Amino acid sequence: MSEQTGKQMSKEEKDARFEAELLPVLDPLYNFAYRLTLDEDDANDLVQETYLKAYRFFDYFEQGTNAKAWLFRILKNSFINEFRKKSKQPAKVDYSEVEGYYNSDDVEGEGGVATTTDMRTESVQDLIGDEVASALNALPVDFRTVIILCDLEGFTYEEMAKILDIPIGTVRSRLHRARNSLKEKLEKYAKSMGYNG
Amino acid sequence: MESKFTEAHQRVSEDGYESECDKVAHLLDLMIDGEASSEEQSYFNTHIEECIPCFESHHKQKLLKGLVSGHLKRVIVPESLALSIKARIQETV
Repeated sequence: MSEQTGKQMSKEEKDARFEAELLPVLDPLYNFAYRLTLDEDDANDLVQETYLKAYRFFDYFEQGTNAKAWLFRILKNSFINEFRKKSKQPAKVDYSEVEGYYNSDDVEGEGGVATTTDMRTESVQDLIGDEVASALNALPVDFRTVIILCDLEGFTYEEMAKILDIPIGTVRSRLHRARNSLKEKLEKYAKSMGYNG
Repeated sequence: MESKFTEAHQRVSEDGYESECDKVAHLLDLMIDGEASSEEQSYFNTHIEECIPCFESHHKQKLLKGLVSGHLKRVIVPESLALSIKARIQETV
């Protein structure tokens, strides 16, 4: 019996293999889709579309190779080819609004809500998380993408180059520019909170 | 301390970079992403031991990466998603 001829698998075998190899990537894939579209319904649609495409091309997928990078690549292409056209103006968090909020006098009230040390730490953690998300969401989608792939999902430069279809040199320069841009936004926030950049 | 720093700062490297600091700045992302070769790593580490500005920018860059990897909240996948993917796949011939 030859294991290599994927096309001879029964549908049950194929489905089982598909689920075992590709469904574990659902969580990071959905998070990536959400960070691209900034909308839960759109993320939902994009992920479904990605899995259906992956299923159609599953015979070409070599078992045991990088399933995560493969799915991320399909999702990224779907996003560029179809999704971007459909949603004319992807919801964008206006950073200046957030900034204005934190610059207002309410800032001092934040810590006062928490009563125990634990709660206080948690609320500070949440605050930082929200601020990082706002700053990241305000970046152009290409910048956001490389930061998510690298810092959140831990892809190597080589994997990123394959996912994005760009040379490694471009991955490096894009990542560098993206980080500078993110740094700028977060430094503004840090200063408004009384930290020195 | 100060003279040591100036010395490192002004030393011009042979491979096209204006200064050691310039070369180190180009390695910053490679370092924090674990993509630097062992040669690049030792060059980098030797330099930041004696150059405070580069030491600080390395620290800042690590901090920035940590903010994304450690503080960005993950969104929760809707429970229905996996089920609907499985269902749609089963329908597909």
